Amino acid sequence: MTRTLLLALGLATCPLAAMAFPVVGDVVGTNPEEATAALKALGCEAGAFEPEDGKIETKCVDPATSKLMEVYIDPKTGAVTEIKLED
Amino acid sequence: MKPPSVTPVTLWDPVVRLTHWSVATVVLINAVLTEGGSSLHIWAGWIGLGLLALRFLWGFLAPGEARFAAFPPAPRAAFAHLANLLAGQAREHPSHNPAGALMAYALWATLIVLSVTGLLMTGGKTPMQMDAVRATVATGDWSVLVKEDGAGPENGGPGKVAEEMHEIAGNLILILVLLHVGGVVVESRALRRNLVRPMIFGDRK
Repeated sequence: MTRTLLLALGLATCPLAAMAFPVVGDVVGTNPEEATAALKALGCEAGAFEPEDGKIETKCVDPATSKLMEVYIDPKTGAVTEIKLED
Repeated sequence: MKPPSVTPVTLWDPVVRLTHWSVATVVLINAVLTEGGSSLHIWAGWIGLGLLALRFLWGFLAPGEARFAAFPPAPRAAFAHLANLLAGQAREHPSHNPAGALMAYALWATLIVLSVTGLLMTGGKTPMQMDAVRATVATGDWSVLVKEDGAGPENGGPGKVAEEMHEIAGNLILILVLLHVGGVVVESRALRRNLVRPMIFGDRK
């Protein structure tokens, strides 16, 4: 019974895992290679990395909303500092 | 009593025409065609700032109708002018009419806010310096950004305020431009002469 419940729970949460996306605080790295890999693992197929107001900006589509998002990374810590809809 | 007859400007001087249309082009480019923070956006912003500085200098040095003294900001006179316009009693002015003058100052003030906040957002870097940083980041070296003071919008504080003010001013200037164009159309019809012509080549005979 417990196994069945766990299996059901696992199956129910599968779509959530597929819809994963970075969140503020995720540390993705301080260079493009690390960041590309880490973001990809989090569900963000990052495009080019560009400087923006002292941060690194990249863009990727949020699979949950299909909207293009701007992801900002602190170049010093490698942490995601802000995620917002593309202007 | 009939107001004294006034000779309106038939052709604005070259500096006024150059700065008017160049600044209009810069506003169009940065509002519609370029992405905020892009190299072209920053270049256009600096060019706009230079043109604004030229117009301000000209406002103090120019002879005649281009001088600031010829069209001081006068809100009461501006509203009186608009009231006259609505009443079908538009009259000529030797420089900008009071409503047009107020609009010019509003546009300039908004452009100053755009320029200053833009400079704050880019840390006062020139377009060339910004291009150099962009080129370094493109090679994969992000350390060039670590040396900065970190006053960007994502850290909150002045950078964030500057970004929000820049966005508000960017929207405000589009509204002002629409009002300005609308005012020119209405005034041209009321005065039965094309007010755009003196800002281009004047009356060609």
